Amino acid sequence: MSDMQSARRGLSRPALSGPDVRKIITGVLLIGLVLFGQQLYGRVTAAGRLNPALQGATGPRNVIVVLNFIPDRFHNERVAEYGVFAGRDGTLNRIRLRNVSPDSLARLAAVAWVARIEPLP
Amino acid sequence: MSASAARSAQGLGDHRKGLAAGRLLRDLKILLPFAVLVAVWWAIYLSVDFSPQVLVSPLAVWHAFAHLVSHGVMAEYANTSLRMIGLAALLSLLVGVPMGFAVGINRYAAHALEGFLRFLQGISGIAWLPLAIIWFGFTHTTTLVIVIYTLIVPIVFNTMIGVRAIPEAYTLALRSLGASRLRLVKDVYLPGALPSIVVGLRLGMGYGWRALIAAEMLVRKGGLGDLIFGARTFGQIDRIITGMIVIGCLYVVVDRLIIQPIENLTIARWGVLRQ
Amino acid sequence: MSMAKTSNRSSARRALDQVAWRLLPLVPFALVLAAWIAYWTIMRPPPATLPAVPDVVAVLWELAAKGELATHVAASLWRLLLGVLLGATSGVILGFIVGLNRSVSEFISPLVVFFNAISGIVWLPLVIGWLGIGTALAVFLIWNTVFFIVFQNTVLGVQLVPQIYEQGVQALGGGRWETIRSVILPGALPYILTGLRSGLGFGWRALIAAELVGATTGLGQMIFGATEYHRSDIIIGGCLIIGVIAIAMDRWLLLPIEQRTIERWGLVFDARKEE
Repeated sequence: MSDMQSARRGLSRPALSGPDVRKIITGVLLIGLVLFGQQLYGRVTAAGRLNPALQGATGPRNVIVVLNFIPDRFHNERVAEYGVFAGRDGTLNRIRLRNVSPDSLARLAAVAWVARIEPLP
Repeated sequence: MSASAARSAQGLGDHRKGLAAGRLLRDLKILLPFAVLVAVWWAIYLSVDFSPQVLVSPLAVWHAFAHLVSHGVMAEYANTSLRMIGLAALLSLLVGVPMGFAVGINRYAAHALEGFLRFLQGISGIAWLPLAIIWFGFTHTTTLVIVIYTLIVPIVFNTMIGVRAIPEAYTLALRSLGASRLRLVKDVYLPGALPSIVVGLRLGMGYGWRALIAAEMLVRKGGLGDLIFGARTFGQIDRIITGMIVIGCLYVVVDRLIIQPIENLTIARWGVLRQ
Repeated sequence: MSMAKTSNRSSARRALDQVAWRLLPLVPFALVLAAWIAYWTIMRPPPATLPAVPDVVAVLWELAAKGELATHVAASLWRLLLGVLLGATSGVILGFIVGLNRSVSEFISPLVVFFNAISGIVWLPLVIGWLGIGTALAVFLIWNTVFFIVFQNTVLGVQLVPQIYEQGVQALGGGRWETIRSVILPGALPYILTGLRSGLGFGWRALIAAELVGATTGLGQMIFGATEYHRSDIIIGGCLIIGVIAIAMDRWLLLPIEQRTIERWGLVFDARKEE
């Protein structure tokens, strides 16, 4: 990156605050989108993920985490952080988790790439 | 409102709309070369029978991108890299700027340190990775240490230069009025050196982002470097190219839309001292 | 009588000052060395974590005697030479072609910014599939790094040559080629040389990074291979050599070329300050 270019530009351009401030705002928004976008989306749609039977749980529950795709090792590892991994429920995209605390349940529901959370009968 | 005033008010509104449209057009013009590039890429891909190990189509790359985003993978890896560079930049500024001040104020210290800093810069942060791995293992600490090392050298160097460039008359004037050391720092050194500090930060971010990606490739504990290097193992060229594009775009956004405008603003506001 | 004594004392002091000034840059190195020795003597860390100073010297001597060091240094320098030659020639030639044509340079400018953002190590996962491990990979990565720096600086240099010189030559009847040779080339030269100097530094660092991951010989490979066996003495020794070569190349190769060329063309431009 030629910092000479920027030095030259700085010396010859008059003080224009408008476009620079606009750029900074745009840049910060874009980076913010990358950092928090998916997280926010997940949180906003959390209610739709949790099965009604699990809403307002007060103690640890056993659940099935349903995904819309076949999970990679990445997803298995992340899901396993919320409870005790207890194998699949039929197909590969249904993961059984035992002993999920209410707090973990709420956080799991806010994960954007989780499709549904169903109770484990 | 009189008829002529109403007409001229409307003229002003139209003029503003024209300006906004012109700006939008100019912003879109920047995308045109990339569109041409993608078209050329597609043409090359279609005309030569590439194995998917060598090159994939732009469409495949788009699918890989959509896949990684919808599966939450891209968000997490990009987050890891961005947070790491952000933390490293913050720490480097907190430590590097005071160090640069302390050294820059003294002519002898500046002269003494110049060669040493150049030497450290010659041994890039990446070269110290093996030692960092032995000391801290394959952890985020290793990556952070290396990126901070890479970032801090240009920051200290440029802060030093910035301080040295401040005409002595300014410091002498304030000191003769009885200003304390702290006041001197706040009112003369900091504003005077600020343009140079931002230049140092900008340089450092360039080196640091690159060092971060390389470190992530070796440490393999998350981040975009890990993403593209891991995809190599499975020959997922579409993922590699997606990762490369994301790496480039993130850097361009941070450099051109955040740091460079800050640089322009500081030079415009305090740049008078530079001349 | 006393006047002569005073002048003798002041000239002696001046000479002492000059010597001290020369020796100052060595002070940080001496301090680091002292700290290293002190830490080692007091804490007695395991050799894998921090070797004793004589151990590093001994291992370097051993490697030099076995010829291994020479092999690695030669491999690295050879790759650097190839990459820099390719990068510099392609950068200057394309830089001229693009710099002379304003609409072209405006069009490809966003592309150059983007590809500069991903230059170097980011290409490794992709290119390793095309070229495998070894010299070809390293040369590609160096070419990539050097090209964009030299190219950008050349374009800048070409575009900044004041129009009035071009017009002057044309008024005297000189054609396009004559203009380029006698006006634009010398005018752009300081920028090209700055680009080369930057490029060499970047290229060397990119080379080491490339060798860490994808080579069987070379200094980068030497220090990364030592990680497996926890031979931090080899790592530290290797890093020092890397730093020394970086400084040597810059100081004794490029700086003289730059200064002499600029003197010859009588251009008042302290290229040393631009980095």
